[in-house]
Amino acid sequence: MMKTFSIGGIHPCDSKISKDCRIEVLPVPSKVFISVAQHLGAPATPVVKVGDQVKVGQVIAEPAGFISAYVHSSVSGTVKSIGPRKDLAGNNMTHIEIDVEGDEWVEGADLTDTLVTAIPEDNKEILDRIKMCGVVGLGGATFPAHVKLCPPPGKKADCLILNGAECEPYLTSDYRIMLERSKEIVVGAAIMKQVLGGCPAVIGIEENKPEAIKAMTAAVSELQATAKGYDGISVMTLRKKYPQGGEKQLIDAVMGRQVKSMGLPIDVGAVVQNVATSLAVYEAVQKNIPLVTNVMTITGDCLPMEKQHNYKFRIGMPLSYIAEYAGGVPEEAVKIISGGPMMGKAIANLDATTVKGSSSLLYLTAEQTVRGVESACIRCGKCAEACPMGLEPFLLNKYARNNMMDELEENAVQDCIECGCCLYSCPANIPLLDIIRLAKGDVIRIIRGRGQK
Amino acid sequence: MTTTIIWTIAILTILGVVLAVVLYFVAEKFKVEEDPRIDEVEKVLPGANCGGCGQAGCRAFAQFCVESSPNLDKCFCPVGGNEGMQKVAAVLGVEVAAKEPQVAVVRCNGSCENRPRTNEYGGYQSCRVKAALYSGDTGCSFGCLGCGDCVAACQFGAISMDPATGLPVVDEEKCTACGACVKACPKNVIEIRNKGRRNMRVFVSCINKDKGAVARKACKAACIGCGKCAKACPFEAITVENNLAYIDFTKCKLCKKCVAECPTGAIHAVNFPVVKPKPEAAPAPKPAEAPVAETKPKEE
Repeated sequence: MMKTFSIGGIHPCDSKISKDCRIEVLPVPSKVFISVAQHLGAPATPVVKVGDQVKVGQVIAEPAGFISAYVHSSVSGTVKSIGPRKDLAGNNMTHIEIDVEGDEWVEGADLTDTLVTAIPEDNKEILDRIKMCGVVGLGGATFPAHVKLCPPPGKKADCLILNGAECEPYLTSDYRIMLERSKEIVVGAAIMKQVLGGCPAVIGIEENKPEAIKAMTAAVSELQATAKGYDGISVMTLRKKYPQGGEKQLIDAVMGRQVKSMGLPIDVGAVVQNVATSLAVYEAVQKNIPLVTNVMTITGDCLPMEKQHNYKFRIGMPLSYIAEYAGGVPEEAVKIISGGPMMGKAIANLDATTVKGSSSLLYLTAEQTVRGVESACIRCGKCAEACPMGLEPFLLNKYARNNMMDELEENAVQDCIECGCCLYSCPANIPLLDIIRLAKGDVIRIIRGRGQK
Repeated sequence: MTTTIIWTIAILTILGVVLAVVLYFVAEKFKVEEDPRIDEVEKVLPGANCGGCGQAGCRAFAQFCVESSPNLDKCFCPVGGNEGMQKVAAVLGVEVAAKEPQVAVVRCNGSCENRPRTNEYGGYQSCRVKAALYSGDTGCSFGCLGCGDCVAACQFGAISMDPATGLPVVDEEKCTACGACVKACPKNVIEIRNKGRRNMRVFVSCINKDKGAVARKACKAACIGCGKCAKACPFEAITVENNLAYIDFTKCKLCKKCVAECPTGAIHAVNFPVVKPKPEAAPAPKPAEAPVAETKPKEE
């Protein structure tokens, strides 16, 4: 019996159209705009000046707090300007504009394809390198990776979970790297496992990716046979269900443990990292390459097969450039999403640039995006059945519309993971998530404000 | 039959008397000493419970007034206005200085015509929800989102959405300057400003802090921070900060020099008497040249 998380969940059509498209490397454009806010937490502070010469992999912005990350240049060239530019959502954010000249990397970066399997012994040095290379979680939240790998004193990791679920429909970037960079991912897992004190590592992959399961299993057994430090890594097949890739859901599926309300995964001894993060950790520690590239999917039902792509992009590339290179925006597309269709964000501004966590350009047609007319709640309970956090969205919706903050908190609105299962399952087309997300923000602010008193 | 009724009445009467006596002594024992003036002040307040005074409703405001008496400088009920405050002062037997009457002002020029839509918003129609998702369906990430959260927040029916422009319009007669709309607007588009002499006001109807070219591209009538108005102002009432001009209503003398100077028409002058365009003789600058005021002159 394959494992999955215990409550809620939905089964959207997985639509992995681009799964057989090999990862192609995007050519570097003539200009990039690198955002200083590519991670959860405080935006980084620029450390270069206009006119400075930079190389690929050079630090251009430093963390501005504990939860923050280094940002590196993804190209070599001259810093043209530092100033506000509209991001994906159309809001202003400081971007560093760099005119590209050549492609010169910083010293020490190992650009060869050779697999380095020997893991450095000094954990402090490993963590330092992960931090210095600006590695953040690439599963969506872009939480700085080194912070997650240093459990607070008194807490111990029992298991490292690698998230290869990729439960969002359409996205295939994680799938492709699991096929094409399997060994690197396993080395990354072994590095993180060692940092966490040698706990076992489980790579969780959904059943709809048999090829990836095969490739990863083969990579694990090959490395276990040929190198040291790879014991205790295993691949686990999970039953397909959305949102399996949610941190708390994956812990439930793999370990059978539930994270308390407002708790952290480490409270139950779990550390979850995405497979793409594992690859970034490998490149940072073994190859000394900072996180300046990632893989994104260009897909959509309205795109012909030859225009479906998985691209290795560099951070700071304008999305319009990528869309153009991939063959242009299809005419039928009325909405472009960055991320999956369930949790991704609609792109308001195609001039925005890629960030570390960019995972897709997904073209949706009018038919796919138009919301139905909202009607009254008939208390069918489908939303409550679908909620993977065990909440009652119909109730939270009522409370939120009436600003009943105490009741919202009692009913754990702060635990909502914004997965969208309620909205997806509601037959009355009530914008449950829109309303609950807002209430969640308000309640979390109230809780935090209380803590400060 | 009759006896049952008599008995019932008798028992209930006795019970009532006994309980009344008990309640009387309990009430005496646990009496809460409260200033009787609070009740009196509350009686003269409008009873809107809007929170515009900064207190949790009219009762709390009455208590606040009594506590801060004799100095009522910090107490002001925007709904009752100066008249209402005079009544409060009379109840408390103190003096209170009159405050400038104020009104809510919408600082956005982004009508459908000035500010072209760059995308379509299909989500829940609420400014707060929209603001949490993205910058809005125009190129301007500062201006009005047009879903009408302010309309819903106004208890006095003073704000309505103009379907032609997609912007909220404040009815000056009804607006009490309670500030509920200011709090409801996630973009801080609405500001409470002094009503001004004979309701005449000059203000920058834009809050876009983008650089000139970016702001201009997003909206034809955006403030581009050129600073011409600040130079033209003889009273140093205008400051330009972060590519945005702001007119200090306490310093503005309504000379309208800035209105004539503004290249994009971002500065609005409202309720000035309409001067009929007489040929030649009219003194420059003519108010008729000024951009069309968003609020129409009062009809009398």
